[in-house]
Amino acid sequence: FILKAEAAIMVRAAEPWPEKATLYQPLKEDQILLSDSASSLAVQTFLRMCGLPVQVSCCANAEYMSPSGKVPFIHVGNQVVSELGPIVQFIKAKGHSLSDGLDDVQRAEMKAYMELVNNMLLTAELYIQWCDDYTATEISRPRYSSPYSWPLNHILAYQKQWEVRRKMNAIGWSGKNLEQVYEDVSQCCQALSQRLGTQPYFFNKQPTELDALVFGHLFTILTTQLTNDELAEKVKSYTNLLSFCHRIEQTYFKEHDRESQSGSSRHSKGSLP
Amino acid sequence: MKNLLLCWGGDWDLPSVHTDSLIVLAYAKFSGAKLAVKSIDWTWRTITASVPQLHYEASTVTEPTQILNFLRKQRFNADYELTAKQGADTMAYIALLEEKLRPALLHTFWVDADNYANLTRPWFTSHSPFPLNFFVPGRQASLALSRILLTKAESPLLNITEVEGKIYSEAKECLNLLSHRLGNFHFFFGDTPTSLDAFVFGHIAPLIKAPLPSGQLQKHLNQLDNLCQFCNTILKNYFNASAEKRTDCSPTAIHDPVDANLQKLTQLVNKESNLIEKMDDNLRSSPQHRPNSTPPS
Repeated sequence: FILKAEAAIMVRAAEPWPEKATLYQPLKEDQILLSDSASSLAVQTFLRMCGLPVQVSCCANAEYMSPSGKVPFIHVGNQVVSELGPIVQFIKAKGHSLSDGLDDVQRAEMKAYMELVNNMLLTAELYIQWCDDYTATEISRPRYSSPYSWPLNHILAYQKQWEVRRKMNAIGWSGKNLEQVYEDVSQCCQALSQRLGTQPYFFNKQPTELDALVFGHLFTILTTQLTNDELAEKVKSYTNLLSFCHRIEQTYFKEHDRESQSGSSRHSKGSLP
Repeated sequence: MKNLLLCWGGDWDLPSVHTDSLIVLAYAKFSGAKLAVKSIDWTWRTITASVPQLHYEASTVTEPTQILNFLRKQRFNADYELTAKQGADTMAYIALLEEKLRPALLHTFWVDADNYANLTRPWFTSHSPFPLNFFVPGRQASLALSRILLTKAESPLLNITEVEGKIYSEAKECLNLLSHRLGNFHFFFGDTPTSLDAFVFGHIAPLIKAPLPSGQLQKHLNQLDNLCQFCNTILKNYFNASAEKRTDCSPTAIHDPVDANLQKLTQLVNKESNLIEKMDDNLRSSPQHRPNSTPPS
């Protein structure tokens, strides 16, 4: 039945991209956390790279509206698709793709590096947010539950924390301490830095979904205020990754930069230092 | 120098049936580390130990990635010839294996009802001491199921059937990607095996060799010739001697490895000559002499 579902998506996706496509994420100022913000930025970057306009709409209950429970998700015509992987496939069915020029081996590499980012960077972000007690108490729980009143805010925040900790346990990350997690992030950044080398994008001259994903995570890490700056420092030590982020920010976000600067939240420090 | 590696025992022509144990065993062979291997079958360690586990002098290390790092620090390094970019590729492909292939492997062996009841549970039950044989397989199965659900299913529904289609199609895609990447080479980075080869071997060897009653993923993998060849090459070149000693299901268990090779060769030659004789008979015999078929009118 999985093939039928995919075929159904492809048939419905054959309509052209509408004017009023919307991307939903949690509230930017007060609610959204590092990991969700990174995923959302990755999707937005990917859509800009494809040249598809989308409006960003912030809702407190974005997570519950999403079909898979994860943010961000896009609402296009009468389709709702969440998470970067399915969104890339959906966009491909509409005829836009960034990775068509790659051969099989390169495509294998691209998918492998995307999994590396998901496996290491995203998991590390989730760990730091929810498994580190200090960060969870000072930042994650208050922010996550800010739109709600007592006692719902407590219940939801602790429920989310419990869920994330269960997942960390299942994949074997609960035995790690913060130092080891920072070390993993550093190794992941080193791998990305070595793969990028001196090229403008990961696959030579053209950006792909991998560039969007890496940019989303690295930019968010660099511009988000956590309890300490150690995570950002780990990323900053790789200069080619910094210039990669600058380049994408300049190329794809420049014209909207002024609007986003004025509305930048206390949580985010705005543009890159 | 006291060193000891604890891991699950072997079967089906493999030195171990457990993916993580296979990864460490393969890497030890590739890097030339001489480890005393002890299987935890039929001991209480089946429930107390986190396998694979390396005891080296005074320290204890678990988890394949940690053990490989530890071995590298002890100068058993199979990756020293890799460039920086290849090292980065290794990390990326290992992440791909963990995210895309591991859930489907867990499902095939531990969650699929047919396989679990007919292969996995009997094997682990028969390799655990009484009374642990009642607990060990069930515990592993529930750990496997919870890992799949927590990482792949959409909360809060957590229904396994919705996820099955997705994890198998992702696993098949992952196997295709690995096959493309391997191409016609012996190993993933040239002519000598590295840690990536150990990881891939650990994941696909049980899938190739286990006699699974219901194995759609196995069928898919068998179509990818270069991956099967890769697995068999490693078994032949690095595990031949120990496979001969360990195997208990092959009909001719010989103690001397040289004789065993000769025996195998003789068997193959005999098989070939039997086949040739049969073909010869078929060609010579005329249609009306063929036993169970009606003669053409």
